[in-house]
Amino acid sequence: MTIVVFLASLLGAMALGMPIAFALVVCALALMLWLGNFDSQIVAQNMIIGADNFQLLAVPFFLLAGELMNVGGLSKRIVNFALSCLGHIHGGLGYVAIVAALILAALSGSAAADTAALAAILIPMMRDAGYNLPRSAGLIAAGGIIAPVIPPSIGFIIFGVAANVSISQLFLAGIVPGLMMGISLVVAWAIVSRKDKMQTSPRTTMRERGKAFLDGFFALLMPVLILGGIKWGIVTPTEAAVLAAVYALVIGMFVYRELKPSMLYGVFLTAAKTTAVVMFLVAAALVSAWLITQANIPGEISGLIQPLMGNKTLLMFALMFLVVIVGTALDFSPTVLILTPVLMPIVKQAGIDPVYFGVLFIINNAIGLITPPVGIVLNVVSGVARVPMGAVIRGVNPFLIAQLVVLVLLILIPELVTVPLAWLRGR
Amino acid sequence: QFSERSIRLSNGVNEDHPNGKGVEKFRTCLADKSGGKLKVQGFWGNALGGDLQATQALRSGTQEMVVTSSSPLIGILPELGVFDLPFLFANEQEADAVLDGSFGKHIDAKLEGAGLVNLAYWENGFRNLTNSRRPVEKWEDFKGLKVRVMQNNVFLDTFKNMGANAVPMAFGEVFTALETKAIDGQENPFVTIDTSKFYEVQKYLSVTRHAYTPFLVLYSKKLWDGLSKDEQAALRECAVVARDEQRKVSRELSQASLNKIKGAGIVVNELNAQEAQRMREQAKPVWEKHAATIGSETVKMMQDELEKIRKK
Amino acid sequence: MSRIVDWFFKALEALLVLLLASMVVMVFGNVLLRYLFDTGIDVSEELSRYFFVWLTFIGAVVVGRENAHLGVETLVARLGDRGRKLCMILSDLLIIVCCAVFFWGTWQQAEINATNYAPITEISMLWIYGVGFFTSIGLGILALLRILRVLTGTISEHELKAFAGDYSDDAAHALRERLE
Ligand code: NA
Ligand code: NA
Repeated sequence: MTIVVFLASLLGAMALGMPIAFALVVCALALMLWLGNFDSQIVAQNMIIGADNFQLLAVPFFLLAGELMNVGGLSKRIVNFALSCLGHIHGGLGYVAIVAALILAALSGSAAADTAALAAILIPMMRDAGYNLPRSAGLIAAGGIIAPVIPPSIGFIIFGVAANVSISQLFLAGIVPGLMMGISLVVAWAIVSRKDKMQTSPRTTMRERGKAFLDGFFALLMPVLILGGIKWGIVTPTEAAVLAAVYALVIGMFVYRELKPSMLYGVFLTAAKTTAVVMFLVAAALVSAWLITQANIPGEISGLIQPLMGNKTLLMFALMFLVVIVGTALDFSPTVLILTPVLMPIVKQAGIDPVYFGVLFIINNAIGLITPPVGIVLNVVSGVARVPMGAVIRGVNPFLIAQLVVLVLLILIPELVTVPLAWLRGR
Repeated sequence: QFSERSIRLSNGVNEDHPNGKGVEKFRTCLADKSGGKLKVQGFWGNALGGDLQATQALRSGTQEMVVTSSSPLIGILPELGVFDLPFLFANEQEADAVLDGSFGKHIDAKLEGAGLVNLAYWENGFRNLTNSRRPVEKWEDFKGLKVRVMQNNVFLDTFKNMGANAVPMAFGEVFTALETKAIDGQENPFVTIDTSKFYEVQKYLSVTRHAYTPFLVLYSKKLWDGLSKDEQAALRECAVVARDEQRKVSRELSQASLNKIKGAGIVVNELNAQEAQRMREQAKPVWEKHAATIGSETVKMMQDELEKIRKK
Repeated sequence: MSRIVDWFFKALEALLVLLLASMVVMVFGNVLLRYLFDTGIDVSEELSRYFFVWLTFIGAVVVGRENAHLGVETLVARLGDRGRKLCMILSDLLIIVCCAVFFWGTWQQAEINATNYAPITEISMLWIYGVGFFTSIGLGILALLRILRVLTGTISEHELKAFAGDYSDDAAHALRERLE
């Protein structure tokens, strides 16, 4: 019964179009009234403490790094490098998009920013070369959502804090599944574009490729710094985030010289505002999470799905199905924040590895970014590429299916996550 | 006189910790005394927020109980810093005598002034050092070790004073940080080293017993005042009954954990009496530096109390 | 009046930039100190966390004024102007209720926060938790003003469109795209 109060208040408030942060507080108020322990101090205390967390400092730092990367010309050079290597093959710009998406994913923590950068650079080229535009836009959208799966990832940070799971381990565990998402896109692109007629750019010489590599060298070094730093124990995720921001600043300003001092204020302000949006949501989610725990909603749910509790694979299928459904209508961080306190106790009770669950959960949430009706990455591509939303939705379908296949594979074969993780951790 | 009540009790540790047994005993004891009217609803692993957050919830009357280590609460009651002082107790018997005696009462009174009713002192265990570099046998061995310590000035100073590099870090990141060698070591009781599997990623365990921070079993003063005399008495008695059980289990489990850690191939060393004494001497400046903030009266009282016990 | 308000928000923005920049300096500085000189500044972990809290809750008001908090507009987008206005009033009323509860809770907690001191910097936690006053009042006023605009019919077409998720002519659009 409590679960009805929870859902009705949350969905009702969201339907009114109010900010989700406030919808979560409304939901908390409803739960308090229902449980008969209404106290305004619960709201005040949990709100503020939700943001008082050193690990979450990685969020503003990675957001800042992403801003600096795009403004400082790092993203552009990565695309150029991929282009010099792959531009000449049939459907080459598609492969360029995938490879560039993978590299950008290893530099930045959020999907929409990566997608915007990729679309802005590649869509005009694809249009000129006669590519099927909705399909190209769909590919770029599907490539963009790899960003939160390959570290760094704002999604892993928020999940790690909300679920009390090691962010470093989530980061390392995301690498191989993220690459698998890339491979699935390569396969899907090869199939759907095989009959398309499109121009290829002339083959570049090794010298030109070398030049593109050198030009992008410092940008390409960034993932090595972030991942290597964490893998070799030089830095914690929070410290890696601040290093990434400082590195992007230095390279953009002194090496590429595209970042002017006058631009810094704007870049910092944007990162600060974005942080406020994400963190206000995180803070409000802690209020509702406190009451979800108190009201024992996870217990109520695991009671409802008791028959599934004994079978990890079936349970994962059920949970992932739920996340896909929720993901169609909700943005990434709200889904993570609302579902984590509800699902995590069930996952633990069923004996599913929290890191494994976290990786699949984040992949699933990333996929939600390209499922209609609410998919912010679809909006971004549609806006930047000037392709109607309906066309992008059609165009993204084959790639959406490819990524769902990856998700199903990961459910069926958990070793695809756990074995590489053990190897990366060197044990 | 008992009313139907559900008492929300939160814990920072997981249910497999000795506190799990303590809470279980507390629950059955209360059910017994109240004819099933007082129910205890346990929350584990910071599910309702960290120790400090839960304690603040008690002070504001939004939650009934918490079992918390004393260290996170020094911002509320500086006197609790006395338990963070390095090399305070020599053994469990000393700790029991001080905590269950008049000094414990002295702290209880102070806690009550801060809106918290302390029902009993449970055991967290002596804190010991693990690291991946070398066995720590004398205080010089601390030098240069990067150690994750709790975020408070007494702990920071204790380790700095030893020449170690005290690193602040969220508990959830410690395992990975030890594994990747971002830090060299950490310090916790045996049970925590065992249940958090730190022994899998560490080479040396040195039985330094450098701190003994007890668990406080706290009840919200605001809500306490609304209880009947019978209910208050039952709560106090049961917390003490549970204390004896919790300490017994804690000591058994502590030994079992140590055996398990040894079995896992980690190198364990005890300090010899002379080096232990040197460390104690070395730690004196930390006592002196923090006596004023903790309250010189409280520190003096602790010293007198210890002297009295040690004379016997 | 509106010029004063604009200046006020410009000042808040400058404060946000300052807070974020200081966080970078403190955390990065500590990493450098640790790896180069095997030392660190104790207050940097704690202070950067508190700056983060201020950044979040001051920023929430700044961002609230730009209508950039994440929401679900799928249903509102299907409504006509009257329906949208009705939803706007209802949701703003709920926001005011939330802000009132937030404010009252912060008020009741002031005592216990004032008597809790940060473990390292030893500043009163009221400095941190007190930011709840600012945020609850700020966001509450913004909601109240919007209700007044709807009731007096002075709400702009542009604002109504943004409420329904159509950000095509809105500067905040760019901000939202950076989120996920
Ligand atoms: Na990423
Ligand atoms: Na979606």
